[in-house]
Amino acid sequence: MPSGDHGHDHSDVPSDLALRVKALESLLVEKGLVDPAALDVLIDTYETKVGPRNGAKVVARAWSDPAYKMRLLSAGGKAIAELGFKGRQGEDMVVLENTDTTHNMVVCTLCSCYPWPVLGLPPVWYKAAPYRARAVRDPRGVLKDFGVTLPENVEIRVWDSTAELRYLVLPQRPPGTEAMSEENLAALVTRDSMIGTGLAKTPGQGEAT
Amino acid sequence: MPALKAADVEQALRKGGSARVDVDVAPKFKPGQRVAVRNLNPLGHIRAPRYVRGRSGTIDRDHGVFVFPDTHAAGTGKSPQHVYSVRFEASDVWGPGPPGDGAIYIDLWDDYLEPA
Repeated sequence: MPSGDHGHDHSDVPSDLALRVKALESLLVEKGLVDPAALDVLIDTYETKVGPRNGAKVVARAWSDPAYKMRLLSAGGKAIAELGFKGRQGEDMVVLENTDTTHNMVVCTLCSCYPWPVLGLPPVWYKAAPYRARAVRDPRGVLKDFGVTLPENVEIRVWDSTAELRYLVLPQRPPGTEAMSEENLAALVTRDSMIGTGLAKTPGQGEAT
Repeated sequence: MPALKAADVEQALRKGGSARVDVDVAPKFKPGQRVAVRNLNPLGHIRAPRYVRGRSGTIDRDHGVFVFPDTHAAGTGKSPQHVYSVRFEASDVWGPGPPGDGAIYIDLWDDYLEPA
């Protein structure tokens, strides 16, 4: 559980959830079902190695290379694997292209399904009930909360990842980026733009988050 | 099952574990076809979200053949079958809304669907 900047007395007992997690971890380790060293590698992988910068490279390649983009849209997983990204929770990938008339947005209303090899682990809001409930019912309202307002003639398509397919949004290439290198383009691709709750940044808008 | 060792984590993550099944099963529906989600209401969790049970949509694409989690989780077999992306107009799910209120695409197995 997060500690850090808080005002309460440190003699407080941990929350029920924290206690439950500790109890489960102890049991799993004691019974030999989980190797703590393997857990450390898993955590390190998704903290420092696999994250949305992978997806940003895929998007920048698609913006720069029309043939790659065609492969990406027709067989997402294979094209993503060309850049070395594949594996758990990315076995069956579908890439959705945003255009002037279509905006795609991804949610998992049943749980928190998310394309790990290209985006890493999902942000907390993606797993939270308010986003999951509202994304399908009021996507324009959700987009507004993320600071995005789209013209009314843009059809919003919400993809609910209820099965084993994992979705990556290919955001629109921002205007004024025609001369940019693939590497500089990747810096414009935000995590949220690949979930569909945001747009890619325009040059000069700052670093991708 | 032996615990995953630290040295094997990277390989295990890269290998993944697709639920796609390489068997020849005939699809029950075709892209463009109108379908309804069966109004199933079993005890426990299924992968057809409640908000579209009983609603009608259109098959957008056929993703191929996958393990059916409802039977697989219950230990009664993989029941390989087609999974489709089904397009539901937002107004068909929630009632009339503002113009341009879009659509929801939901991945559904054959066993959840019937002709509309």
